[in-house]
Amino acid sequence: MGSGTVSTFRIWKLTFSTANVVSGLVVFILAFAVIFFTSRHVSMRPSKGQNFLEWLIDFTNGILKGSIPAKEVSGFGLWGFTLFLFLFLSNQLGLFFNVAINGSAIVRSPTSDPIVTLTMSMMTVVLANYAGLKKWGTKGYLASFVKPSPMFLASNLFEQVSSFLTLGLRIFGIIFSGEVLLEMVWSLAELKGIPTLIAAVPIEMAWQGLSVFLGSIQAYVFLTLSSVYIGRQLEGE
Amino acid sequence: MLSHLVIDATLYNGDSIFYVVTFLLLMWLVKIFAWGPITKMMQQRSDKISDDIDHAEKSRAEAADLADQRQEALKGSRVEAQQIVSTAKSDGQEQRGQIINKAEADAQALKAKAKDDIAQEREAALVGARNDVADLSIEIASKLIQRELNASDQKELIDSYIEGLGKPHES
Repeated sequence: MGSGTVSTFRIWKLTFSTANVVSGLVVFILAFAVIFFTSRHVSMRPSKGQNFLEWLIDFTNGILKGSIPAKEVSGFGLWGFTLFLFLFLSNQLGLFFNVAINGSAIVRSPTSDPIVTLTMSMMTVVLANYAGLKKWGTKGYLASFVKPSPMFLASNLFEQVSSFLTLGLRIFGIIFSGEVLLEMVWSLAELKGIPTLIAAVPIEMAWQGLSVFLGSIQAYVFLTLSSVYIGRQLEGE
Repeated sequence: MLSHLVIDATLYNGDSIFYVVTFLLLMWLVKIFAWGPITKMMQQRSDKISDDIDHAEKSRAEAADLADQRQEALKGSRVEAQQIVSTAKSDGQEQRGQIINKAEADAQALKAKAKDDIAQEREAALVGARNDVADLSIEIASKLIQRELNASDQKELIDSYIEGLGKPHES
């Protein structure tokens, strides 16, 4: 991303960014490969791959259990697992595969584009509100906006919008800045040939390592906050 | 940069839909290929573990029961063995007494019979000898005095003679 031009294409009345579509497909294929090859021989005594998958499922279920009431948590397990896997791979993708053709990016982290992260956070907010609507009924759901008193209506509505924005922009900010810094270090390396290249490589590697860590943390944080929003909708006042 | 973002957000309306569809599709595939089988297996495993724990508990109780029963049986058989030994001992004692008593009685009877037999035989021998002596003496006397004696008179005479003969012999 950054300074390059953005290649786009149109289908019907919709505009698509080539980089986002290609990166999204790469993440989709990677995620599918991970779950496909780790779940080939499901047995009572787990193999290596199955062990990993079970650990991951336990991990995301553990995050959900932290905020969603125990009785309802099983309904969100699949969603939480997929979300974590998708975001984690999205965050890491741009650190290792950053492909650009004619100055415009083709493969990078999908989560370094706000439209993607805001789509994800919008899905969370919609899911949370849908879960609340389903549990409390239309009347109970609408009543939750004027609690503890009608004075809070504005603040409750604002909270919905702000959680949508903060959830999406937090992960975008971290991943986007990480990629920008990587590009900057790289341009520093190209500045004066061999000496700057040698100086830049350790910095690049160190920052990549930190970005891997940050990307993992952000996927975790995104899922944690999502489950908090859902949990808040499901909890009775 | 900021204007760039604003343009992005307004331009790429297709990406939003693309990502929603991709995400839902991925979720569906995860459910079919991984989530379904894995969570089912995890459930089965936890069921099996709790089953095994219950089963182990039951088996242990059964084993303890069996051990108790065996202990009881062992105790019973020991008592029984003791009884058998003591019965055999007393039986043996009794039998020994019986055998000894019978042997003693037999010996006594045998002894008594032998005594009787001896006495009878002596008597018979005595009677035989008496008769023989009587006949003999008659023959001798008839030869000596050449006359026929009355047999009964002669017998009286012989008896008195033998009596006289036996007395000094007995003493």
